Amino acid sequence: MGHPRVDAIAQEAREAVAAARSSADLEQARVRFLGRQGVLTQLLRSLGTLAPEERRLVGAAANEAKRMLEALLEERLAEALESERRAQRTRARLDLTLPGRRPARGVLHPLTRVHDEIVAIFAGLGFSVVDGPEVETDYYNFEALNIPRDHPARDMQDTLYLTESTLLRTHTSPVQIRTMLAQKPPVRIIVPGRVFRRDVADASHSPMFHQVEGLAVDRNVTMADLKGTLGLFAREMFGPESRIRFRPSFFPFTEPSAEVDVLCFVCHGQGCRLCKQGGWLEILGSGMVHPQVLKNVGYDPEEVTGWAFGMGIERIAMLKYGIDDLRLFFDNDLRFLRQFA
Amino acid sequence: MKIPYTWIREFVDLRLSAAEAADRLMNAGIEVAAVTPLAPDVRGVVIGEIEAIERELGDSHGHRLLLCRVSIGRQKFSVICGAPNTKVGVRAAFAPPGAVLPGDRRIGTTTIRGVESQGMLCSERELGIGLEHEAGIFVLDGDAPLGADLIAHLGLDDHVLDVEPTPNRPDCLSVLGVARELAALTGTRLRVPTIAPKEAGAPVRTLVRVRIEAPDLCHRFTARVVSGVTVGPSPAWLQARLRAVGLRPISNVVDVTNYVLWELGHPLHAFDYAAVTDATIVVRRARAGERFTTLDGQERALDDSMLVIADTRRAIGIAGVMGGADTEVTDGTTRVLLESAWFDPVSIRRTSRALGLKTDAAYRFERGADIEALVDASARAAQLIAELAGGAVAHGMVDAYPRRRRPRRIRLRMERVKRVLGVLPPPSKAKAILAGLGLPTRQKGRDLEIEVPSFRRDLAMEDDLVEEIVRVWGYDKLPSVVPGSAGTPSIAGGLTGVRGALPPTLIQTQTVRQALVGAGLAEAITHAFSDPACAALLRAPGAPEPLRLLNPLSQDAALLRIHPLEGMLAAVSVNVRRQQPDVAVFEICKTYEPDKGETGARESRWVTLALTGARAEPAWHTADARADVYDAKGLAEHVLDALGVGGLRPGGAGRLAGFEPDCHGTLVTASGAIAAEFGEVSARVREAFGIDAPVFAAAVSLDVAAATTQVPLRYRGLPRFPAVQRDLAFVLGAEQSLTAAEIEAKLAEEAGPLLRRVTLFDVFRFPDGRRSLAWRLTFQAEDRTLTDDEVNRVQEHITRTLTQTFGITLRSA
Repeated sequence: MGHPRVDAIAQEAREAVAAARSSADLEQARVRFLGRQGVLTQLLRSLGTLAPEERRLVGAAANEAKRMLEALLEERLAEALESERRAQRTRARLDLTLPGRRPARGVLHPLTRVHDEIVAIFAGLGFSVVDGPEVETDYYNFEALNIPRDHPARDMQDTLYLTESTLLRTHTSPVQIRTMLAQKPPVRIIVPGRVFRRDVADASHSPMFHQVEGLAVDRNVTMADLKGTLGLFAREMFGPESRIRFRPSFFPFTEPSAEVDVLCFVCHGQGCRLCKQGGWLEILGSGMVHPQVLKNVGYDPEEVTGWAFGMGIERIAMLKYGIDDLRLFFDNDLRFLRQFA
Repeated sequence: MKIPYTWIREFVDLRLSAAEAADRLMNAGIEVAAVTPLAPDVRGVVIGEIEAIERELGDSHGHRLLLCRVSIGRQKFSVICGAPNTKVGVRAAFAPPGAVLPGDRRIGTTTIRGVESQGMLCSERELGIGLEHEAGIFVLDGDAPLGADLIAHLGLDDHVLDVEPTPNRPDCLSVLGVARELAALTGTRLRVPTIAPKEAGAPVRTLVRVRIEAPDLCHRFTARVVSGVTVGPSPAWLQARLRAVGLRPISNVVDVTNYVLWELGHPLHAFDYAAVTDATIVVRRARAGERFTTLDGQERALDDSMLVIADTRRAIGIAGVMGGADTEVTDGTTRVLLESAWFDPVSIRRTSRALGLKTDAAYRFERGADIEALVDASARAAQLIAELAGGAVAHGMVDAYPRRRRPRRIRLRMERVKRVLGVLPPPSKAKAILAGLGLPTRQKGRDLEIEVPSFRRDLAMEDDLVEEIVRVWGYDKLPSVVPGSAGTPSIAGGLTGVRGALPPTLIQTQTVRQALVGAGLAEAITHAFSDPACAALLRAPGAPEPLRLLNPLSQDAALLRIHPLEGMLAAVSVNVRRQQPDVAVFEICKTYEPDKGETGARESRWVTLALTGARAEPAWHTADARADVYDAKGLAEHVLDALGVGGLRPGGAGRLAGFEPDCHGTLVTASGAIAAEFGEVSARVREAFGIDAPVFAAAVSLDVAAATTQVPLRYRGLPRFPAVQRDLAFVLGAEQSLTAAEIEAKLAEEAGPLLRRVTLFDVFRFPDGRRSLAWRLTFQAEDRTLTDDEVNRVQEHITRTLTQTFGITLRSA
């Protein structure tokens, strides 16, 4: 194995590689030994001049030395390039604590977030979303909902009128009527939208706010379903531990009627500032659709029953995010809006 | 309505605290807004007597300061008092050192003008039990027990329930009504007071005649007469009760009518009998143009929709709303005519609203008074007047009752109860609940028949009784059924895993929101109202008049918005005024204009956006740049792109007012509809909103976008042959008004089918005013690799045509 002449060259080459300080030195060494005029190349090229026995010996040794040298160069070159790249980067001094280049991030209004959540929950339960006009007739907003003119129940919703018979809707309930007039039962809808009341703006009142109305009418719809459905909603909206409570109430368009409270999600009913020590938070009004309302849209109350509910989106958003002043929603101060990114 | 708890307990024995009673009511649907101690913050105040006035200490603020010796029996105090009613022998409210008054006012020993004052004599207002202060210290009867705790003596160690029954429950607008409800809820017997006025003298029908000329508006009118009364102040207990419920004591006769109103819930009116001409009551419609001065001294114009109580000569009261000034009971009154009547709720409500007169009486009549119980109310009041003001109650009662109430019977099917509630309470329980509420029931097979008493006018149909049962039984007894789950019927085919449908409008707005939030804007929500001054500023010439509210909350919110950007300007204004000069906001909103349709309004849907200040947060890697009109335009294009509205081109003049005329552009659809307007908000408009910096804005019509056929999503094969890019820059003369769009349109037209993309990538203005516009053109064929020659030919053709057509030159490299 080996050949003194080749061994000498190989030794020389190893030393040259070992002495190389950079990728350029290595390249120089490669050219010197393996380049077209390189020592080993020359040697291999001159094999034909040797005697056959000598040629075999020298040839084997030179090829072996070439492979060794190539491998060595490859390895050292990779190392050298890597360390040179690193050295170069070190010189560039990247300061990775500099802030990144971020695309601008917009925000949805908190009411939109809550709206979308509510819609998603009920859409998942098979409720279709319906919308309707904000300027309404007295008939759809009141009369058809069993709230006659000159009835004290109208005081429950102080109204902004445009004319004697048209007004800004005080709730999204007129869309119930429009929908039922347009289709036969079964009906299963929710109606999110803007509503208006003649209330001076303060921390808990606003002349404009948002509601989501729900309506289900079919054979065999009962108040127990209403309770079950709203319970499901509360668990989706406020977490799996959530519970609801029904309290009797009065709405002219439902009978029986119920206010619905959800167990305070801050104190879980122990009493805290949010629930004013009561343990429960009022979130919506609901009830069984009044038979007169069903008659008004041409449904037979002996045939079908229904339930309806209405909740304020602002109310839910205030509870969910701990917002204590309704006016913040409509001020659109960016320092407020940006908190909901 | 404020009701002291002790008063309720006169009618029903309750082993509940006031707070517990309130809870019971709330859980049965009777709202109790608050339970408050009657005299919350008074401690240690006692009854003292001014034994002597020892000396005067001079004037202070127009009052003589007196040094008094006050006795509370076992102890005496030196007290300085400046009240005008300070008198020897008077028993009054006295706060000795250590007592506490409302507002945590701790009373001690003070020095006034060098003289020590031990404690203080107090006025009603200082005690927080009334409003009186100017008249002086709170004086008690001469036999009030010296040294006794004042609050206990006045019966003020009590709680007040603020009951706010819903409009369907006027029967709970009285102490008796609330007591009846509590009796039903606790299974306790109601103790109805025995009412038996001692009658004497002539029968009442010889003293007064009643004629009802409008029986449609007055179903019943009764009159009693009490003769020989002495009008004067009410006794302390009555005054205290009235104060506790928030009423001002006036005189014994008037106080009695108010007391009975509170106790039994029926409004009464006492007339000075002597002032009633011919001792005749005529209940009639007011005459058109009739004028009348009410008790409060106001002259009011009546019309023939209003009902009045009159005598033979003139009106003496507005029925059910307010009595008249010249028949009111005064100190000189000796004979009282007592009215107890029933008026049509709708008529009372209209009258009360039309006159702007909201009284306790009108509040009850418009909700529906009890046409039977008014008899008891009259008798109770007559009895009390006789007791407190002396006098004799005339025999009997004049009772004009032209429209006799027909009792209503309602059949309640147990099957219906089950159908509505989804569960059936035990029938015996149901029956007991109804009986407890004072509703007489008769068994009819499995069902019940209920005769509705006169105090429950709200019970009109079967489901009303279902509610009565379930609200007393307890809503917590209702099972909670998830519809459609195993073994339960589904609702409306519901919960079958099928998602509900979303309307196109909602899908559209969700797309817009996503696009703009992704682009870094914040979503705003603003009001729909408009200030007339604003609307005038933002109304385009010839645009329809804005819709006006009949009863706006304030003049600056009297109109509905006509300009989609009004909300955005308000939002920008709020932020720049609050030290946030960089704003990028959008909203989904509506504008409203008059229309012939049933609602009288057409509602147009928009997405609007506004930008001011820096385009982005200052950052180390980006040069500062201000938002400009191209940002607004770009965002409008971005939105329309997201909505799939293609084929947009620059349009002519916009329709919206409020932009700078030279910085106002539009994007129109292929069919020519304006899909978006954008530009710089005019300085006049933004200054009206208090904004100093330039604002750039855009309004995209969601209606137009929805109506525009959207480019359907279709896959197209990827190009198989390479593309060739060429840059072409043209120089426009300083005076040329040529637009980039004009050049680009021509360029695209001339380039032919090989042009795939054209992008304006550079705009440059030479110092001499010439402009350079540079386009990058991408050429590509579907069936071959393009040769340089081919592209050169097209490029030369474009260059030649454009330079000749527009008189512009190719910019040499």
